Amino acid sequence: MKYDVVVIGSGPAGSVTARFAAEAGAKVLIVERRTEVGVPVLCGEGISQKVDNFKILEGKRWIATKMEGARIFSPNGTHITLSAEFAGSETGYVVYRDIFDQELARGAVKKGAEIMLNTCALDLLKKDGKIKGVRAQHFNEKLEIEADVVVGADGVESRVGKWAGIQTTLKPYDLETCVQYTLTNIEWDSPYCDFFLGKHVAPGGYVWVFPKGKDVANVGIGILASLSESGKALQLLDRFIAARPELKKGEPLRVITGADPVGEPIQSVKDNLLLVGDAARQVDPITGGGLMSSIEAGKYAGETIGKAVEKQKFDQQTLSEYESLWKKAFGKKLHRNYVAKEIMLDMEDKTLDMLADSLKDYKFEEFSTLSIIKALVTKHPSLLMKLTPLMKLARS
Amino acid sequence: MAKPKAFVKKEKCLACGGCISVCPQDAILMVISKALVNKEQCNSCSICVKTCPIGAIGWEEESL
Repeated sequence: MKYDVVVIGSGPAGSVTARFAAEAGAKVLIVERRTEVGVPVLCGEGISQKVDNFKILEGKRWIATKMEGARIFSPNGTHITLSAEFAGSETGYVVYRDIFDQELARGAVKKGAEIMLNTCALDLLKKDGKIKGVRAQHFNEKLEIEADVVVGADGVESRVGKWAGIQTTLKPYDLETCVQYTLTNIEWDSPYCDFFLGKHVAPGGYVWVFPKGKDVANVGIGILASLSESGKALQLLDRFIAARPELKKGEPLRVITGADPVGEPIQSVKDNLLLVGDAARQVDPITGGGLMSSIEAGKYAGETIGKAVEKQKFDQQTLSEYESLWKKAFGKKLHRNYVAKEIMLDMEDKTLDMLADSLKDYKFEEFSTLSIIKALVTKHPSLLMKLTPLMKLARS
Repeated sequence: MAKPKAFVKKEKCLACGGCISVCPQDAILMVISKALVNKEQCNSCSICVKTCPIGAIGWEEESL
């Protein structure tokens, strides 16, 4: 089997990379170890409305609800509100990730990509020290898939990067460990996506409630792995739910676990191998959101690969255009939010309460973490010392 | 006595891959949608045990 590109993983990063590479004329194969694209879901299922700009999804079947906005609750229950009303109506969606992923994969196939399910990548295929594709296992059959470019879109636990010598192991303080119920029979009538902060609520992370339709919501928690003990995320989530009359009668339709890389991005190109999405740590370290950045990076990766195939040049220099493009687009934002995450981790609950109180009536004009950081910097010159690195980054 | 090795309770594991992403020994693999510890490589550091959000990783002795 010989392809121009083999993409390992059929999540959003993999499918979008495949789509744009195929559209540019490359012969693309996606290999997926699971038996169904998008299943099991491993995600809170929130995404910015900016996804519409990419025009990669047809219809509306993948949308569960359109968010009215977001509320962020400090430990004592004070909340700040980012409302669609003030944010130019651009907020976000809660999606059905299984359908969402399948629609993205379908888009890739329409452009000519092929998909192989039940296919686990085992190692790189190398010849004279050069990457020539991947070895894989399809049921009991061992395969050698030759390709000029290998794309690792294999998620948080990425092995593809390791095979190429990229250090991908996460430190526990750079991982959010998560568990989420999709609950029904709840009386949660907020049209907002809600976030709950606090050392006792979710150390180093937050609890979220994302409405997914009438009396259904994703209720989940992420805590920093360095502050976790065995099973602690689930215990804290159960405690959060039990303490709220609106939620405690809820019955689960789904329970999932998840792992969210919240470190700094890593090297994403090594020779003729690219990492995209969670595998490249293209995740906002504050929100843990990675869908938009994976999609944007996937587009750059696919387009860069398309050009490389056209020129038949697969050296690191040619393919590094991908890394330049995504770093230019959102690399600074990820770095800035990593610094902000570090600062937030040091904050006591009462500091969070004070900050929330000072912004509780603030009209945010943009639906982003940057708008919150800017408001904090404006409101709290006394926090200047701590926020100096952030201010510099917010300006740049 | 040798330190006990990490052990994945298969019936509990929901295959999120968090343990794999933090294992400093690269000792955990996903096999048929369950995490599996390679005992030879495990150095009993307990990072995966603490990381698992639902307590699906314990110590080998507990499972005997």
